Amino acid sequence: MVIERRWKKWVFFYIPLTVFVLGTLFPFYWMFVTAIRPDAELYRSWRAVNNAPFWTLQPTLEHFRDLMAKTMFPQWLWNTFFIAVISTAISLACGLLAGYALARLKFPMAGALGTSIFVTYLVPPTLLFIPLADIVRDFQLGNTPWALILTYPTFLIPFSTWLLMGYFKTIPKELEECARIDGATRFGAMTRIIFPIAVPGILSAGIFAFTLSWNEFIYALIFLSSPERKTVPVGVVSELIRGDIYFWGQLMAGALLGSIPVALVYSFFVEYYVTGLTGSVKG
Amino acid sequence: MVSVKPAGRAGDIRLAYALLSPALLLLAVVIAYPVGWEVWTSLTDLSPLKDGSTGFVGLANYRRLLADATFWQAALVTVVYAAVTSAGKLALGLGFALLLARPFRGRALVFLAIFLPWAYPAGVSVIGWYWTLNPPTITAYAPFMGQLKYAVDGTFGIGAWAFASVMLFNIWRGSSFIAVLLLAGINAIPQELFECALLESRSAWRRFRLVTVPLLKPFLALGVFLSLTSAFADLSNVWMLTAGRIVFPVIGTHAYWLVIKAGQYGPASALSLTLVPFLLAVLLVLFRLFDPPQERSTA
Repeated sequence: MVIERRWKKWVFFYIPLTVFVLGTLFPFYWMFVTAIRPDAELYRSWRAVNNAPFWTLQPTLEHFRDLMAKTMFPQWLWNTFFIAVISTAISLACGLLAGYALARLKFPMAGALGTSIFVTYLVPPTLLFIPLADIVRDFQLGNTPWALILTYPTFLIPFSTWLLMGYFKTIPKELEECARIDGATRFGAMTRIIFPIAVPGILSAGIFAFTLSWNEFIYALIFLSSPERKTVPVGVVSELIRGDIYFWGQLMAGALLGSIPVALVYSFFVEYYVTGLTGSVKG
Repeated sequence: MVSVKPAGRAGDIRLAYALLSPALLLLAVVIAYPVGWEVWTSLTDLSPLKDGSTGFVGLANYRRLLADATFWQAALVTVVYAAVTSAGKLALGLGFALLLARPFRGRALVFLAIFLPWAYPAGVSVIGWYWTLNPPTITAYAPFMGQLKYAVDGTFGIGAWAFASVMLFNIWRGSSFIAVLLLAGINAIPQELFECALLESRSAWRRFRLVTVPLLKPFLALGVFLSLTSAFADLSNVWMLTAGRIVFPVIGTHAYWLVIKAGQYGPASALSLTLVPFLLAVLLVLFRLFDPPQERSTA
């Protein structure tokens, strides 16, 4: 290896890295500081004495308490969780079967069907929300969790099929062939040999589908109207910002509380996600 | 290898369709039918606010759109938005990925920090941005941000600050994803290739241009593709970050406004369908440009 001079390493490595990391983390830091800052400190003039703009001297949990006790935040958490779990379960079941068929079975139109499922992943909510709004109204599903449980598969099924197909391709064919020589049927080999091996893939697809529906905003904004039915992202945005009266402290507390667990889980499983994604690029 | 009997092959085909049917059925209900409905609606004057029956109006909605200056403005803003954010995301993402490519102490932590913007629900991290950029007037640093806003709006026109903040947010969040994607790409390149390149040329730039970029091509293509398509169809980010007070509408927000506020389903459908040529163009160019057979087989 060529030995690089020390200043070069600073200029091309440490300094840009530090700047990047500070830049990416600053908004989170700001949310956190705002959430623990007492109201008296939040709403006061900029020239006040003892003003510490970037940290706080009297951290408080008051905003978190208010959020849990005085707003419908616990209810929103439950709604989001309920919707995410059911729509993930539905999509995962569909994606598991479809992904296996596309990765392993030879049948006419396999390529075309695979491509069309991939293309449906690219159909954006912006295109779909108008007709879906009409369908939801026709079936009187408006303002119920079922409106979302039914619409989230629009992006969850293509996504999980895609991810699981990539995962199935990494499992050696020989395993299945051995099972079939031993007399297992194709279906038996699938359920008893391949699915158990694919558990990590299924788990990660499930987690990503769960977080995708946890994060969804547009459909939830359109299909849910009463405050007690809302999900966390929509509830926080629409109920805690009322005209020009803000509950900034609670708002930030809500933004942190509803999302940190999800973000952490996401981060731990990122390897699987990337493998799935790149696996499908390399083919 | 197992010799597959003809009966077994027919069984495979039946099984394949049986396995695919739940997914296809659901997708037909929630995607194929809605898209068909939308195409039909774009040819009518459907509106829940209007009395009387819905009439077939042919291409009138499209004609009206093409003659409408706000449509062209929204289209232009959408293209600028997609192009600027994609370029920004790609540049930053590539930077992150290259920095993280070599091992160093604390790499795992830096990786998590860089991945966090994308892992974090956009719906709520947007609030963090909104609060940072548009503080309520009585807060500590509001005068400072206010001055910044007026300076930007004064130079580039009203609404420029809000639009810039949407782009910044998008780049902040998207570059995080592109970085993770490209890092996976770099890790997939055999280390020997970099070592060979090191012997061949001492210029880091030449090595980057002639070895790293060509090998990363499929990953770059996927990144650009996902970023362009999501930006073209963006609606939620723009809506949330400007709290619905949109000065520069993109196609998505314009359609949302037409449906929710004005109840004009027909024109709104036509409007959101104008995204299709954008999406198809991106799709075609990228499939052409980067190893079509490889990507095809996976899709």
